[in-house]
Amino acid sequence: MKLPLRSFRGQLLLVFVPVLALAQLATWYLVGRFNEREARQQIDTSLQQAAQTFRRVVADRNAHLRTGARSAARDHQIRQLVAGDDPATLASALQSLRGTTDSSVVAILEPGGKVVASAGRGAPESALPTRLIALAEADESERPSAAGYGYFDGVLHSVVLVPVQAGSEVIAWLLIGFRIDREFAADLKLLTGSDLLFLGADGAALAGTLAVSAHAPLASVLQATRGHSALRQITIDGGASLAVFRPLLTGREPVATLALVYSLDEKLAPARLAGRYLAVVAIGALVAAAALALAFARGLARPVERLAAHTERISAGDYAARVPVDRADELGRLAGAMNAMSAGLAERDRVRDLLDKNVSPEVAARLMRGGAALGGEEREVTILFADLRGFTTLSERLDPPALLALLNRYLDRMSGAIEAHGGVIDKFIGDAIMALFGAPVAQGDAPARAIAAARAMESALAALNTELAAEDRPPLAIGVGINTARVVAGNIGSNRRLNYSVIGDGVNVAARLQALTRAAEHRTNIILSAATRAAAGRAAADARPLGTVTVKGRTEPVEIFAIDAPLSFHDHRTSPHTEPPFLSP
Amino acid sequence: MPSVLSTLMLLSVLLPAVGNAREVRVEVRDPKGEPVADAVASLTPLDATPVVQPPAEPVSVVQEGEEFRPHVTAVVVGTRVTFPNRDAVQHHVFSVSRSKKFDLPLYRGEPREPVLFDQPGVVSLGCNIHDWMSAYIVVLATPHFARSGTDGAAVIGGIPPGRHRLEVWHPRARSALTREVIVAEVGAATQVIALTLGVDRRVRRAPESAGGGYK
Repeated sequence: MKLPLRSFRGQLLLVFVPVLALAQLATWYLVGRFNEREARQQIDTSLQQAAQTFRRVVADRNAHLRTGARSAARDHQIRQLVAGDDPATLASALQSLRGTTDSSVVAILEPGGKVVASAGRGAPESALPTRLIALAEADESERPSAAGYGYFDGVLHSVVLVPVQAGSEVIAWLLIGFRIDREFAADLKLLTGSDLLFLGADGAALAGTLAVSAHAPLASVLQATRGHSALRQITIDGGASLAVFRPLLTGREPVATLALVYSLDEKLAPARLAGRYLAVVAIGALVAAAALALAFARGLARPVERLAAHTERISAGDYAARVPVDRADELGRLAGAMNAMSAGLAERDRVRDLLDKNVSPEVAARLMRGGAALGGEEREVTILFADLRGFTTLSERLDPPALLALLNRYLDRMSGAIEAHGGVIDKFIGDAIMALFGAPVAQGDAPARAIAAARAMESALAALNTELAAEDRPPLAIGVGINTARVVAGNIGSNRRLNYSVIGDGVNVAARLQALTRAAEHRTNIILSAATRAAAGRAAADARPLGTVTVKGRTEPVEIFAIDAPLSFHDHRTSPHTEPPFLSP
Repeated sequence: MPSVLSTLMLLSVLLPAVGNAREVRVEVRDPKGEPVADAVASLTPLDATPVVQPPAEPVSVVQEGEEFRPHVTAVVVGTRVTFPNRDAVQHHVFSVSRSKKFDLPLYRGEPREPVLFDQPGVVSLGCNIHDWMSAYIVVLATPHFARSGTDGAAVIGGIPPGRHRLEVWHPRARSALTREVIVAEVGAATQVIALTLGVDRRVRRAPESAGGGYK
């Protein structure tokens, strides 16, 4: 499918699809970012809670051991063994205490810190006893004790120290502790859901739930983040994890570090799966949207193209064509409007055509231009009257359709001759023609044109008569009267129906002059008034004076002239097929 | 707080004789200047071997109201001490101190035998069934000693003139304070001793009503 970018479809796709794609991409990206941030926050919370859980578990176990140790410390036999000189018996008693308290290590320390006897895993690291005793001595509470972390035989322990008293004298210290080992780590993981690893003060991995491959990255991150408890990202076996580190202190002395680890990938797995689904949905939506846009564009473009083609036909002048109205939307309305417009244009055209046929083209143009206002102006106009002689006799001989056809044929020729010389057909009055020269458009040589038109009418009639003779029909004859006078010109009629015409005495004179051509003594078909002859100049040079006549309705006699021969055309009077142009009235 | 416990601040002033007898007045204060009671001050002649004569009758340290009274008792070597129980409940008085270990298992009233303290040293007493009960018996190899009262003063009289070692001990001082003093032929001297005391390690009696609630 070709998609020119300038087509509506192309533009719609170009705008719509990228915007949708961008929106979906942005959504996908934002949701992804939100999920990741949320996952990080959740992991952060989990790890902080895990750290707290660890502290709580240690505190609880310490509390249990402390209670057991306190009970043991106030046991009289233990007290006597502590004060006595039998470390072997004391050690065996401690072994039994270790069993009852479920502890890993138990030891009796001299007030100065020296180990008197111990049970369990070897001796504590050298610094531990004095550290703990210092802490316990600083404890001013009712029942002093100390707790912390320390190594026994290199194994990390959580330890508690309580005094062995005789009266108010501290005669020794009882040290008790539990091992922080893989089992403990596994228990803690069950509780917290987080992986964990205990690291020694030197960064070496001690115990934990993580695979050995995680130890080195954790140790190196710990090295870099010493002193910070913020969330850290680490890479274990290529996967991203988040970790927090918590120092394990004895007093203020960092003894070991607890690393709590949660896999970011694991946490993000559901969100990533959702993201993949989202991407599939997004691509599907994009494809669907593109298809819909195309379909919509096609649905829109097709009627638009049809309307455009229709418009082109209209501009070419085809008003008869109709575009189908098959929609209820704006396009449907447009099609309807276009059809209405075509109808309107056709109507106007028809009106114009009728106007052209009913009024002269000049009058029609003037009407179209200036509107059909009533009004008038006085101007000098040359009026030509032509009449078909013997029409009455003719009408008796022919049936009405034939008569009308003949009449129209005659009028058409005459009109052509008049219009060819710039004359305007004012009206047809039966078989008579009234034509104007110099109105509605002023013409400087109107009288000359009128005379030329009259000559042309004679020639045209001669030609028509030749045709009629060939059709075996009798010839026609005309009489033409021409007068030039100041008349009133304008649209004459009612508000609904107007005629452009002229009125005045001069019009009557022209009609009378036409009537005078019937007088045989004048021997002419064309009679001019003196005014026309004077105004025509050279065009009326051959005018033959006919003397003066008294025209009906006028008191003054009028001087009249005859135009006998066409100025430049052939002499129809010499034509063998033509009868003399005069018929006796 | 080992440093605090071991610190014995010492503001010593040898004052001109005020009284007539050869006596030394030791005033024991804490660093704030408050008088310290129950301190035992003793003078041991450095140029002669002191002669100690234990009393014929045993000295009593009673148990009353589930407490020892007095809290600190100073005796000379060879003194016999009896521990009469005036309470309705039994007591089990014991010592695991190096200089005198003894055990008086649960008894009422007067124990059968007084306990002979034949070695100098501090003996810490306890009751095996009442952890808060605590007392000390300071066994001395010199007859010149006194215990400070609530005013912090311990007055040691009848001292032979010459060089002496002054020793001041208190249950809450980690070790005894030792100083050499010269006792003049006539007159009295006052020794002002400042002791920094450690935490009172006496176990407090649990109130009757309080139980071992969740902590």
